[in-house]
Amino acid sequence: MNSILFWITPAASIAALAFALIFFRSMMANSEGTDTMRSIAEHVRTGAMAYLKQQYKIVGIFFIAIFLLFAYLSYGLGLQNTWVPFAFITGGFFSGLAGFFGMKTATYASARVAQAASQSLDQGLKLAFRSGAVMGLVVVGLALLDISVWFLILNKWVGAGSQQEKMTIITTTMLTFGMGASLQALFARVGGGIFTKAADVGADLVGKVEASIPEDDPRNAATIADNVGDNVGDVAGMGADLYESYCGSILATAALGAAAHVHGDPEMQYKAVIAPMIIAGIGTLLSILGVYIVRTKPGARQRELMSSLGKAVNFSSILIVVASFLTLWALQLENWIGIWGSIVTGLVTGIVIGKATEYYTSHEFAPTRSISESGNTGPATVIISGMGVGFISTVIPVLSVVVGTTLAFCFAAGDWSFSTGNISQGLYGIGIAAVGMLSTLGLTLATDAYGPIADNAGGNAEMSGLGPEVRARTDALDALGNTTAATGKGFAIGSAALTALALLASYIEELKIGLVHLLEKGHAFVFPNGIEIQTAEEVRQLGLMQFMDYFEVTLMNPKVLIGIFIGAMMAFLFCGLTMNAVGRAAQKMVEEVRRQFREIEGILTGKAEPDYAKCVEISTMGAQREMILPSTVAVLVPVIVGLIFGVPGVFGLLAGGLSSGFVLAVFMANSGGAWDNAKKYVEEGHFGGKGGDVHKATVIGDTVGDPFKDTSGPSLNILIKLMSMVSIVMAGVTVAFSIF
Amino acid sequence: MKIYYYLSLIPESLVASMLPPEEFGNYYALGSHKRSRGQAIFFEIDPDKAGDAIDKEIVESRCVPHEDGSPRKSTYLKIYRALESIPTEAILRLYLTTDDGRTLAIEPSEYVHEEDRPLHLYQEICPVNPRVASKLNPVDFAKGLTNPGEPIYVPRIFFAEMKLEELAKNPDAPIVENLPYQNLAHLRDCLRELSHTYAKPNKAVIRHMKQDFLFRTIRGGFFLGDNEQLIYFPLPNKEELETVHYAWWRSALSGYGA
Repeated sequence: MNSILFWITPAASIAALAFALIFFRSMMANSEGTDTMRSIAEHVRTGAMAYLKQQYKIVGIFFIAIFLLFAYLSYGLGLQNTWVPFAFITGGFFSGLAGFFGMKTATYASARVAQAASQSLDQGLKLAFRSGAVMGLVVVGLALLDISVWFLILNKWVGAGSQQEKMTIITTTMLTFGMGASLQALFARVGGGIFTKAADVGADLVGKVEASIPEDDPRNAATIADNVGDNVGDVAGMGADLYESYCGSILATAALGAAAHVHGDPEMQYKAVIAPMIIAGIGTLLSILGVYIVRTKPGARQRELMSSLGKAVNFSSILIVVASFLTLWALQLENWIGIWGSIVTGLVTGIVIGKATEYYTSHEFAPTRSISESGNTGPATVIISGMGVGFISTVIPVLSVVVGTTLAFCFAAGDWSFSTGNISQGLYGIGIAAVGMLSTLGLTLATDAYGPIADNAGGNAEMSGLGPEVRARTDALDALGNTTAATGKGFAIGSAALTALALLASYIEELKIGLVHLLEKGHAFVFPNGIEIQTAEEVRQLGLMQFMDYFEVTLMNPKVLIGIFIGAMMAFLFCGLTMNAVGRAAQKMVEEVRRQFREIEGILTGKAEPDYAKCVEISTMGAQREMILPSTVAVLVPVIVGLIFGVPGVFGLLAGGLSSGFVLAVFMANSGGAWDNAKKYVEEGHFGGKGGDVHKATVIGDTVGDPFKDTSGPSLNILIKLMSMVSIVMAGVTVAFSIF
Repeated sequence: MKIYYYLSLIPESLVASMLPPEEFGNYYALGSHKRSRGQAIFFEIDPDKAGDAIDKEIVESRCVPHEDGSPRKSTYLKIYRALESIPTEAILRLYLTTDDGRTLAIEPSEYVHEEDRPLHLYQEICPVNPRVASKLNPVDFAKGLTNPGEPIYVPRIFFAEMKLEELAKNPDAPIVENLPYQNLAHLRDCLRELSHTYAKPNKAVIRHMKQDFLFRTIRGGFFLGDNEQLIYFPLPNKEELETVHYAWWRSALSGYGA
């Protein structure tokens, strides 16, 4: 019975990949429009693929180096499971593959969506959304495939003293492929974020501000790079980010499920391990159904377009509530109703965070309008009010996560007193809440990837000089994409916070494995509190809270506080590095566009074509160069802190990084989104409309907000998860070699 | 190479050039090295009807191609009182160039009187350039400014009427969203004063135009008038701007000004 239910996961994975292929083929069957439209799309495609190729080269070098390090730790020092190096590599490979497919689809779709919009708004919306669904379904399909295959392989090959121990080893080993996905996601997000904003800010500064050239004007050499950036940042970057969250939440929950029942019934443990995989599988099948619901009527307004996407998400969410109830009932997991409550909590938390993001970033609501109004007194007040709105906007997401964590913990623990007696079950509840939030990722990611596709379609329509009716339709689709992109970012941050909490708990399980490896080699181990253990069996018998006591993970331990400080600092350091990276790359872009205006005769009269490829190259090289330092810092700091301050230091680091990173990420994404839409509100004819001083002030706000919302903010999601993942994978090293 | 004659209104000057109007507009807005920018407004002149204002022989001797064979972009013929020196019948059409170098041609057309509105806003462009709130319609406004009987007058005036939306009827209208003018409160004061207390028909809102003005704020079109006649250059309607002249219109919407 339980084995049969597990097969839902690989079946859903294959279904997702099959439907992705169907949607891809159906998209490709559409016309790409006129010669000009094809030519523009080809420029963007070539640029995007050139970027990806370059990025994968550099990421490949990193992966090979880390693979060799893990191989040494596993086979040379025996500090890690021997599967870890391979799990790490496959996680990164599948994440990269998902980004590749998603971007390929997006770059083929843009001209086709513009062409479809010339038929009707509904056709444009459907095509854009189904092209986005390719990304969504490829991400969940590959993630579930990776998880299923590894689970089956490890289940067959891993040997252990008991069934319970075997499950613990399998789940903690699988968790390590999350690090591969995390690292690939960090490169995709940081590199993509720097690329897109260097191109965007560069194109805006020299185009709009200096030369007064409209957006998406083919005379601006950075225009194609800007369009390429939408794909590499918002498609490949977002996809890799959520792939990592998706895998991380499922694997962390499976690991927590295995840990919760390590001394109990093996069948119950098995059920707890496969439950998150099955729920993710069912959510994927429901996401496929949801894709077919999206449609709209001619001349639909912004709210109606939004509601057509909302209907699909709501439909799938309601069905997942019912389906997860039936699944848990069929599994007969211990306290299954409570666990179902945790799943519903996760779903609701995701929806609340999405709505809060919409409220603080959409110009339909007061906060963003207040930023537009502040433009009456100049750019300084736009910046001040945008930051104010961004700071305040952290309240609802943080409280949602607080309430969500509380409810998920208490539901699953079956106890409303926050007792630590049932802490393993409670932590399992937090993990499965993240799984619930991400269960319909196939669909929510489709709405995210839809954004850049619609944006590129709008750009293509502008550059190709399509009629005003078509442009009005692509503008409507694009405006909808801006909102879905903002809510998608909120969703990604919220899920990252819950996943990171689950990963934090999983860290302890990895520590246990690390200690077992150490003790099996015949070394005794003395905990910081002075207790010495001799055998692996003693470690296996230790409870979670005992572990925390033995390692002296308490606020009174200065090593924890030191870790917290470093963790909090990491979020700010990372933002600073990525923001400066955008600034430097954008400066180079501005200089290049200026040079082309100066040296290529006839650009501004439209007689000569700018050298688009040069700008793509500048953004690509800038992104590759600039992403190395922040990424290296993100990987090395958890290792260094672990080696110096040991387990308490790492816990502090993760807690500090998670709390400050989460809040900072919400602040940056929402400030940037609000500045962007404050400008759009003015452009729609408010506070003087286009061309006036208020407009100029809000354009400055938007430009400042660009790296906030598209580079630093989204990258923080991955930073907090990557630090957890690195800590988890390096747990054995921390235990064996820490100085203090 | 053919020589074209242009009467530039920003700044006022009479120019001969070997560039056709669109290219001249691009050059005039951006310069040769694309390091400068600024909108351009100019008339194309028929030299045969320009009378004494243009000495073709002198022009042909000065406006010659460069040594490399490239066309001469500009030869200045007059930089003072140029507007009044050209007979109105020599004026062929008006060109508006955005600050990124896109040019729109406007043919002269008959001005049809609209139902009068109590208040107007005019941007004088040449030879003087204050922004003026007025109770007069364009015809009377032009006549008043060019009336030799008045103590202060100019021989000829080129100006545009600008949008006032609801303020044209009610200076206290609470919601005025899409007027990008600087210091809207001051404009309201001027209009309020005109409609309630001020005895004169005109009141200066801005004494001197310091920056580009936004083509999207033009209501109707441009006027060239003196005490005897008024030539009207209507801006194409919104539908035409968004279809036929879309490239120009997008550029016009992308600039900043007051």
